[in-house]
Amino acid sequence: MLRRFTDYLILLAVLVAMVLLFGLLRDTFWSFATLGNIANRIPALALVATGMTLVMITGGIDLSVGSLLGFCGAVVGVAMVDLQLGLFTALLLSLALGGVLGGGTGFVSVKFRLPSFIVSLGMLEMVRGLAYKLTESKTKYIGAAIEPLGAPFGGLVISPAFVVSVLVVIAGQVLLSNTALGRHFIAIGANREAALVSGVPVDRPRILAHALLGALTGLAAVFHCSRLGSADPNAGVGFELSAIAAVVVGGTSLMGGRGSVVKSFLGVLIIATLEAGLVQLGASDPDKRIVTGAVIIAAVLADTWRRKS
Amino acid sequence: MSSCRPVTDVQSGYDKPKVALVMKSLANEFFQTMAEGAKKHQTAHAADYELIVNGIKNETDLAEQVALVDQMIAQGVQALVIAPADSKALITVLKRAKDSGVLVINIDNKLDADTLKQAGLQIPFVGPDNRDGAKRVGEVLAKKLQSGDEVAILEGVTTAFNSQQRKSGFEDAMRAAGMKIVSVQSGEWEMEKASTVAAGLLTANPGLKALLCANDNMALGAAAAVQSAQKTAQVQIVGFDNISALKPLLADGRVLATADQHGDQLAVFGIEAALKALKDKTVPSDVQTPVDVVTK
Repeated sequence: MLRRFTDYLILLAVLVAMVLLFGLLRDTFWSFATLGNIANRIPALALVATGMTLVMITGGIDLSVGSLLGFCGAVVGVAMVDLQLGLFTALLLSLALGGVLGGGTGFVSVKFRLPSFIVSLGMLEMVRGLAYKLTESKTKYIGAAIEPLGAPFGGLVISPAFVVSVLVVIAGQVLLSNTALGRHFIAIGANREAALVSGVPVDRPRILAHALLGALTGLAAVFHCSRLGSADPNAGVGFELSAIAAVVVGGTSLMGGRGSVVKSFLGVLIIATLEAGLVQLGASDPDKRIVTGAVIIAAVLADTWRRKS
Repeated sequence: MSSCRPVTDVQSGYDKPKVALVMKSLANEFFQTMAEGAKKHQTAHAADYELIVNGIKNETDLAEQVALVDQMIAQGVQALVIAPADSKALITVLKRAKDSGVLVINIDNKLDADTLKQAGLQIPFVGPDNRDGAKRVGEVLAKKLQSGDEVAILEGVTTAFNSQQRKSGFEDAMRAAGMKIVSVQSGEWEMEKASTVAAGLLTANPGLKALLCANDNMALGAAAAVQSAQKTAQVQIVGFDNISALKPLLADGRVLATADQHGDQLAVFGIEAALKALKDKTVPSDVQTPVDVVTK
């Protein structure tokens, strides 16, 4: 219990230290505008990181989430622009298709005993192709019908998308810590044979984790579209790596069996704050990449050392 | 949007406006040149304005560019000069910028006129006429070909307005000269991709006489493909942008012509338009900047 608490504290301390440092270096950093910027750019990443945490805890991984984000966004674009459907219908479509395709990756990998790494790699290509096909490789401008989701509301600096993503993070953590399914995820990831022997269902929870990640990616796609006011078939290229990086910075093990949704969210915040701070400092693009990469490695190293000692 | 601390930077003086230049990928030499030109201009006019230059990692990472624009609004810039990575998807955030009182100038890739209208937004474009430039490059090529010759076009990212314009310009010139356009394919602005596509085109169309590439990166890729197909003597290549990497190929004739839209000055033209508008407190209008055809 104490150890868990320290983990949170350390991540929070890193976050606070970064905010202090950037604020001292740049006087515009400590502002509601910056806070809004960071809050409103992370909903999609926070949702996918939540789902990715669950999948990684079961010992799986899904590399197709970036493409799936592009594809579900394309579905939203076609639904709202070409078919003139409402936002709610488009959102349901995106959630459902995301869930089915994510679940499909899980199903194939679990039932045919293939590494989810490979199956999702195949899915990455297929789904991106579908996204291009669906939109004829053209960006679709949706405009005012979707923009309010990603824009500040009610006189605050944060968007509805941010509020929803925080709620999803909380729900994800509750699922993980307080339900039988959550305990099964952890048991499967920690030791699949032992779980099987002790009567924990092994296949279905793993497929379910992938389907949840897919559905969350579908929701993330809607939020991504709301930020651009458009559906972009190229959306999410490399997004899977950002999600995995955030999850790993939050201390979830790539081997499975250990992790926390809230800590992944802190990982998302750390990376987003770092990016925002580096931009305001005027760091060049190569510098940004070098620093971000170094921070990811440092975070994982620190986590490993703490666990050994 | 409010700030916890005053935005004015004491060291740089109170009246000096902050101008943000938001580019596409600074790994692309063309945008690097543009950024360098802007920095040089700022150094020469250091008393007039402060410049913040930013670019994105990957030309298709729209979310990152949106985040950059938001950051620039947060940093309290007075003007934003942007080369949008997509002609439509940046409009939402640019509307946000204008609503926060930032002067927005569009350079390089022109924002989609219909979408701007739909969003109720007016953003001036400062830049070259890509269609006319591509047409003039195409005319130089047409002189080397005979009517009825087979040609193919490598366009850029299909969503980008300047790719569409250059493609149209190439088509205008080829049609006027009676060439047969056998294929139009996207090389996504990239050398590697263009090389693969060009290799496929050369195999599929053995009689191909020319490849018209919507930027020089793709012309370099096309030249590599032509060389490995051993068709250097048969296939002419033209590009667009006049990047320095193309110089040796122009010199030995592997590439026939390209267009120079004065890349180092493109951002500067935008910045000058922004500074003028800030100073005169006027709404700037579109400005057309020069394009020259280069053959050596």
